[in-house]
Amino acid sequence: MSAAIVGERRWARTYPWLGEDPVPTEPCISEDVYRQEVEKVFKKVWLHVGRDSELPEPGCYKLKRLDFASTTVLLIRGRDGVIRAFHNTCSHRGNTVVVPEGEWDNFGQKAAFSCRFHAWTYNDRGELIGAQEETGMPPCFRKSENGLTPISCNTWEGFIFVNLDEDPSVGLHEYLGEMGEHFSGFPYNEITHNFTYYTYLNCNWKVGLDAFAEAYHVNTIHAGSFPGTFSTGLQMIKLLGDHRTTAVCFNPPKDTPPVATLAQARARGSLVNNVRETILPPTLNDESRDDYAFELSVFFPNWLLHVSEGIWFTHQFWPIGYDRCLWEGKYYVMEPTTNSEKWALEHAMVVQRNAWLEDTATMEGTFFALNSGSKKYMNLHDEEILVRHGYHVLEKYLNAENPG
Amino acid sequence: MKLLPQGFEELETWADAWALPTQNTRWDKRLASTRTELLAFYNAVLPHLERILEHVDEYPLRKLPEQSARLFDLALMHAEIAPNVELYDGNPDVPHSFEEKRFIAVHGNDRH
Repeated sequence: MSAAIVGERRWARTYPWLGEDPVPTEPCISEDVYRQEVEKVFKKVWLHVGRDSELPEPGCYKLKRLDFASTTVLLIRGRDGVIRAFHNTCSHRGNTVVVPEGEWDNFGQKAAFSCRFHAWTYNDRGELIGAQEETGMPPCFRKSENGLTPISCNTWEGFIFVNLDEDPSVGLHEYLGEMGEHFSGFPYNEITHNFTYYTYLNCNWKVGLDAFAEAYHVNTIHAGSFPGTFSTGLQMIKLLGDHRTTAVCFNPPKDTPPVATLAQARARGSLVNNVRETILPPTLNDESRDDYAFELSVFFPNWLLHVSEGIWFTHQFWPIGYDRCLWEGKYYVMEPTTNSEKWALEHAMVVQRNAWLEDTATMEGTFFALNSGSKKYMNLHDEEILVRHGYHVLEKYLNAENPG
Repeated sequence: MKLLPQGFEELETWADAWALPTQNTRWDKRLASTRTELLAFYNAVLPHLERILEHVDEYPLRKLPEQSARLFDLALMHAEIAPNVELYDGNPDVPHSFEEKRFIAVHGNDRH
């Protein structure tokens, strides 16, 4: 194991092709760049929109609103077990078929999906199976040609992805490439007890995402909730195609207060590496570091997946405009088997929520200040190489000649 | 009728206001409390916490009798405020944080 030291530009020397120049701020504050991102990135690449366990039975559905594309994705598990995705738009006059409740994701189960405007009805495969007074439709009308508009949909390790492109240039598994291999084999399906927070942020989606894509902030932003835990910084960084991943290493704090001690003794998973047998696949912590805490990764463009011993968690930033986004934080642990484990989980959840409250604290302020236009560039530290890589990949997509 | 199970009489005075059944109500209670109130509640429950956890483990998940469920809610409330006492010097807010109530907890109204 090499004893790489924070502050010696170790990552710039490992990945010299990324360069060390300041990074322009324009992509974070430009409406024009935002419009290009929507067309050349978000409507072209594979986007994580759900988990197969959210649709446990045939007829189960999820509505996922994608503001940037002015559409709502309707995910349905069919009677054949296959999960399909459609635009939630009626073939009649374009009404919303399944009317969402509230501002966020909807879940439910239906035998058929009927539009309440004129009762045009679709089955679990999105096929149009009935329309009110069908004999009044013109002779050229074919029910078989007027199902819900499908969206390309596939799953990897139980994660559901869609691609809004009518003819995606690559399949999901090719898109994920080595990143998919790196994160395969973790027991996501055995670690299912979830808590989720979301909020709408008045900032560009990248300002939010970038704040989570480095650990340089831990000593400052998390001085409250995770005091003195950061030690050796990022390790084992891998830039895998459009995606990026790193190990984050922690020294457990020496003095744990009483309630935290009781909770950690009863927790079924931990960011502090105190386990005897790892559940991590061999691709993770391949240097077998003792201070390995968790893997931090960004799946381009907008999804962060973190895995650790007995837990995993995700962040996702959905663009709504150049100046607004939706953040979703999801945390998964093993199902508690006793009430005291449930109590320990409550404590872990509260600490994690508080840390996320610390993380999100800077985002709107950063965006407001950037929007002044007073700084044309950001000066990235070597420990922020994942942020640098993100802009490098984004530039590649925005410079693509023909978005097709 | 006592609010808490036998053996937890010392905590009886806390049960009415602090044994709250959901993450959202516990979160609101913390934000509406003063530093003095948080410290008093933390110090009152802490000596009994291990005994509370042993008590609730006498029952399977989702099978707690009414008084024990209330005692469990009291322990969950204690978990909600413990970081504020142990890490944030009794500050009822998470210091230097995003506006807390703009976070929506999807599980916020669930009961144990």
